[in-house]
Amino acid sequence: MRSSRLFRVVAANLNRSRNHFLLASVGIVVGIATFSFFIALGLGVRDVVLGKIFPLDQLEIVPKSLDLAVGPLALGGASAIDQAKVDELAAIDGVEVVYPKMRLTVPSLGIGGKEVLGTDLRSEMVADGIEPALVAEDITGKYAFEDFDDPAHPDYAEPEACTEDADCGDDRYCGRPIGYQEARLRKKGEGPKEHPQVCRHYIPIIASDHVVELYNGALRRAHGFPKLNPEFVLGITFELKVGASMVSASRKDEIIRERGRLVGFSSKAITLGITMPIGYAKRFNVAFGKPEDAQRFHSVIVVVPEKDDVAAVAKAVDELNLEVADTGAEQAALLIAIFIAVFSLVSAVIVSIAAVNIMHVFFMLVYERQHEIGIMRAVGASRGDITTIILGEAAVLGAVAGVVGVLLAFAAAAGFDAVSANYIPDFPYKPSTYFTFPWWLVASAMGFSVSFCIFGAFLPARRAAKMEPAMVLSGH
Amino acid sequence: MIRVRGMRKSYATGKVTTEVLRDVDLDIDEGEFVSIIGPSGSGKSTLLHAIGGLDTNYGGTIEVEGADLAKMSDVQRSGYRNETVGFVFQSFYLLPHLTCLENIALPSVFKRTGSMDEAAAHKRAAEVLAQVDLAEKADALPTMLSGGQRQRIAIARALFNRPKVMLCDEPTGNLDSKMGAAIIDLFRTLNDDGITVVIVTHDPQIAASTKRKFLVNEGGLTEVEDPAAAMFRGVSEDDTAPEAQP
Repeated sequence: MRSSRLFRVVAANLNRSRNHFLLASVGIVVGIATFSFFIALGLGVRDVVLGKIFPLDQLEIVPKSLDLAVGPLALGGASAIDQAKVDELAAIDGVEVVYPKMRLTVPSLGIGGKEVLGTDLRSEMVADGIEPALVAEDITGKYAFEDFDDPAHPDYAEPEACTEDADCGDDRYCGRPIGYQEARLRKKGEGPKEHPQVCRHYIPIIASDHVVELYNGALRRAHGFPKLNPEFVLGITFELKVGASMVSASRKDEIIRERGRLVGFSSKAITLGITMPIGYAKRFNVAFGKPEDAQRFHSVIVVVPEKDDVAAVAKAVDELNLEVADTGAEQAALLIAIFIAVFSLVSAVIVSIAAVNIMHVFFMLVYERQHEIGIMRAVGASRGDITTIILGEAAVLGAVAGVVGVLLAFAAAAGFDAVSANYIPDFPYKPSTYFTFPWWLVASAMGFSVSFCIFGAFLPARRAAKMEPAMVLSGH
Repeated sequence: MIRVRGMRKSYATGKVTTEVLRDVDLDIDEGEFVSIIGPSGSGKSTLLHAIGGLDTNYGGTIEVEGADLAKMSDVQRSGYRNETVGFVFQSFYLLPHLTCLENIALPSVFKRTGSMDEAAAHKRAAEVLAQVDLAEKADALPTMLSGGQRQRIAIARALFNRPKVMLCDEPTGNLDSKMGAAIIDLFRTLNDDGITVVIVTHDPQIAASTKRKFLVNEGGLTEVEDPAAAMFRGVSEDDTAPEAQP
């Protein structure tokens, strides 16, 4: 039987019995819509949670630590990771690349924000440094994330003396020479009055997406600040006092005054704080510590592209006497997986019940059409042809119900997103859409719909194929 | 062409088994015009269905052109029904949702050898529709036609694949005598064209118009000369055809 001729027979039969099929397909439509909606919701939430909050393809490796709680204090702590360990991490199978991170081991103060918030904020700054190349794909704006103070940098030049920012052009400011430490003014009027001033590049700074989310979702409300669009805050500058702190006990005797410029956002930046090219962090740590501090990293980000390799990489990390920092990603992934599984099960139950309904409808139709089936057999239809026609009707019914179900899920998702955008207050990581509809989800939904309809029509088709044409046509 | 040997057929209703055909032998040559006559429930339609491959649940053998129908696979038997035989039923059995042209072209949907596309099928359907003098009814639905016209459409469907044998089960049963006579004339014309025609009927007049007549009665099959007499008196030696006499 030619497939085009079969399709015409099937289409004619469906058209004839459209009312029956319309009722029969309601359950399938609801089931497929439920399936598509909740799986897409689970995937969308997973994308946000595991893509932005807990990136699952990035493991943060830290030294093993043993902390002892003594009253309000925790004793112990972690040692650092040296370059040799970094090289060993990079050699583990399944690891694509490693990002050594160096925390700024001296306190620092950030002062700025007036151009955006209307008033300067002063804040203790937690800072770290990473290799610029590792965030190159995240920093695509007009500002570069590079170590301009590295003598090997192409733009590095002997500093030119200046007296004000205007002497240095748009991209630089007039400030202290590189690494210039000035004594803290312990009392008003103390300290040198004059410091050398040269043209300097701003320290390029990146921040984590978390910072903007936390600011927009919580902090700004508490202080009545405006909502920030990440793209519009790029380029803002602020003063950075390395060695300074609002906590008197931790104050150093000397500070380094720098200026930073926010050049971008990246998930690889420190969660709460600022991240600069690692060269700056090294120089600051060495300036306030020892030369060997330039090779002591507090953590390493390890990128494992294949989720299946994560367990093996974690085991290899453990053998290096290091550990994977607990980010909560595994628990989050488990919760989302359970969520998806539960709603998949609910959808499967709905579709199964619908399949039983479809079975009843097809049994009824086979009974109604028994003469027609007998005629077809008389003019040459085989049992296989009869089975093919009935299962073909079920397949088309399933495909149509699947399309309608998926469209319904799309519509429900769009409605949900619209309600969220307009009526649900902002919260950290509030996504523009809660849903992800990958091609395979749509294909699976269609596949389930067609499969369950065929499953429902299987027994009726078998009964139709087994009908003895002579019995049917002679009315026995 | 058609060779039936020792055919037996029984129906079971609950615990009661009724034997309708018992050791039936029948030979029909190519190009013959044959009628099978008998009272209602005598088993004549059962015999026709078995010859047509619609029923394989019988004892004995039925061979058509040397092939044993019971030993064919379902697909082979379906091909046989599609290409070798054409059925005409008392109740026409047209599909009400298809036009006349589509009803006639229905066998092409299940054609296995030299399959036809829809255009070719409709062209052939138009040819046979003209053959039964209903060319203007191509797009009509069967419900718009008279009984005689419907039977002509059914005959056209049976002719679609140029069958060697026409198996007609009470083809005039639902028609008035005038229309019935016209249909029998049509079968005669088809027989003149070389098609073997087997008609099952309970009407002795129709049977009388065929070249060979067989009476099915009390499970047996006998060739008769005078079907009317045989029907009313039962089979006597005087009624049997000379070649069938011992």
